[in-house]
Amino acid sequence: MADLATPIFSPVSESLYPFLSISLLTVGLLIAAYFFIYEVTTSKLSKSLLHELLTSSVASFFLGFGSLFLLLWTGVYV
Amino acid sequence: MALRSALFVALALQLLFLMHATADILISKADRKVDLSGNNVRVITNLKVENGGSEPIGEVLHALPLQLVRNLAFIGASAFEGKGKNRGAPINLPVKLTKSEAAVEGVILFSISLNKPLKGGETTTVDVYSVFTHVLKPFPAEITQSDVQLVLYYDSAYIFSAYPVKLQTTIFKLPNNPRVESYTKVNPVKQADTDLKYGPYENIRAFSSLPISIHYENNQPFVVVEELVREIEISNWGNIYVTENYRLTHGGAKHKGGFSRLDFQARPGASGRASIRGLLARLPPRAHSVYYRDEIGNVSTSHLRNDKDKTDLQFEPRYPLLGGWRVTFTIGYGLPLQDFVFHTGDGKRFLKFPFGCPLQDVLVENLIVKVVLPEGSKEPSFQVPFPVNKSDEVKYSYLDTVGRTVIVLTKKNAVQEHNVFFEVYFKFNTIAMLVEPLMLVIGFLLFFIACIAYARFDFSISKTSAAYQARVQREELMDAVQKIQNIFSFRRVNVSDKLEASLKDLARTGDIQSCKAARKAADAALKESAKELQAKFQSVQSFPRSFNIIPKLEALIAKEKEKQEKLLQKHAVVVESYERKLSSKEIDNRIAPHQQKISALKQEVDDMLESLDDF
Repeated sequence: MADLATPIFSPVSESLYPFLSISLLTVGLLIAAYFFIYEVTTSKLSKSLLHELLTSSVASFFLGFGSLFLLLWTGVYV
Repeated sequence: MALRSALFVALALQLLFLMHATADILISKADRKVDLSGNNVRVITNLKVENGGSEPIGEVLHALPLQLVRNLAFIGASAFEGKGKNRGAPINLPVKLTKSEAAVEGVILFSISLNKPLKGGETTTVDVYSVFTHVLKPFPAEITQSDVQLVLYYDSAYIFSAYPVKLQTTIFKLPNNPRVESYTKVNPVKQADTDLKYGPYENIRAFSSLPISIHYENNQPFVVVEELVREIEISNWGNIYVTENYRLTHGGAKHKGGFSRLDFQARPGASGRASIRGLLARLPPRAHSVYYRDEIGNVSTSHLRNDKDKTDLQFEPRYPLLGGWRVTFTIGYGLPLQDFVFHTGDGKRFLKFPFGCPLQDVLVENLIVKVVLPEGSKEPSFQVPFPVNKSDEVKYSYLDTVGRTVIVLTKKNAVQEHNVFFEVYFKFNTIAMLVEPLMLVIGFLLFFIACIAYARFDFSISKTSAAYQARVQREELMDAVQKIQNIFSFRRVNVSDKLEASLKDLARTGDIQSCKAARKAADAALKESAKELQAKFQSVQSFPRSFNIIPKLEALIAKEKEKQEKLLQKHAVVVESYERKLSSKEIDNRIAPHQQKISALKQEVDDMLESLDDF
């Protein structure tokens, strides 16, 4: 058994956590900022739900993964 | 004491029948070493077993008086392969409690299986190693701060054996610079430095015992962990968290009288000699994020040293512990995943981790090891080299939905010898790691959806008030104006851009036809957008509060139309010039006034578009 045992590593190298969290969060926050600009500048009657859902889902994808790596980087291993 | 010896004699008689069964075996030489220098007593008995019969034997019995069994924390046996200089490495022999002979009152027998049967007339050597706890009784039971700690130890001068012993000696090892108050004299006995040697005694019958007592100074702090809860949490993102909650006590002679901090600090050699001043935890190598705290907060009296084999955490309790005093604290650390979690060949994963307490040479009365497997782990099973109690729990940690499976292993009276690796097997699908990020994604998405919903809701209470009506109308008007703005700043600007681009292409390629086609398309687009613009403008006109925006819009529409017309004119001029094959300089001259006009108009249109925002 011991001969066959191979150590299990994290699927993403731990040295990449800072880079991944900063880059993913930056992109996520930019898209979120665009979403909020759209929300406040477009009048209530001419908002496009599809447009909003698309931007928000892309933003939440980036923010979600970005915050995961932020947690891991800061030592909160989920 | 006399009662006890009488009991053993009676037992020996009772056991005569048993001896018939085992009479073939005898111990030709037995050496016992009893280490009394610590707070747990470790005994190594070296037995030279001789098979006096003709039948080969496969196992040897090791006897223990019943009252000692309660104090037995660990028992193991080993034998060496070969003899003398070609002696190999020791081999562990399986030891198990025998049930059949246990019926004999007052004696417990352990059966040691030999690695190969012992033939008639042959001899073999077996080492039995056992650890006893709570056998050193502080006497006096209560001491003051300046007293030394004296302990009383009861044993037998003869080795308690299931077989007759031809020749035997026992060495009791005392702490350094021993001060022995008294010990039972059973000749021959002598004390040399730290050793107290009983024997040699010859031809002692099976199950005989001769009680002795040793009363000596033992200032070793009796560190007893009443309860230790170790929680080992595996994260597949590359870490293992270990949290250890200790309830620690000084199990030696109880402290009586007052406690002087001054004496304690100033004369460490003469005051509180048996107190617990510091502890050493030996953690696995590459431990990180180590902390040491209690209910109040961080305890700063700690040092951490690491090398490639281990991490040493040297720390002091928040206050020195004298006899009977208690302290609770928590140690935690993180370890790299790859050091302790592995794949098996058959698609399972397993954790291989030290079981016992990382503190050096302590007794853990109640050791609880909790292994928190990653969420989504299936079919957990475990393998521990000694008997433990197992139960299951569910723990909710970061980003959990169904909770994590926890295997709880409980062991009473754990000593250093139990600090061996144990294994926990489980199945885990790597895809399940995506659950955590997806939960975060869903969390953010819910927030955005709440924002979208908030922007759409109407929170006004009175839907019929004049102010509300006015606001709705204003919003509608703004929306209509915004649409007009969009037509200008996207669609119609786009048309102009295309025209300009076609002129550039013309200058580069001289393709008049495509330029004409572009003109045609622009005409159509402008016409269409103009129609739409008209419709929108009319709708704006129909709004009741649009009176102050209408003139602005009219002016804008007129100005923009003029700009587009000028652009078309310029376009026409350029195309015509190309058809007449004029030189580029001449073309430039001809369109210069148009160009100027267009730029001026463009500026004006932009200004007007902007001014629409603040009406």
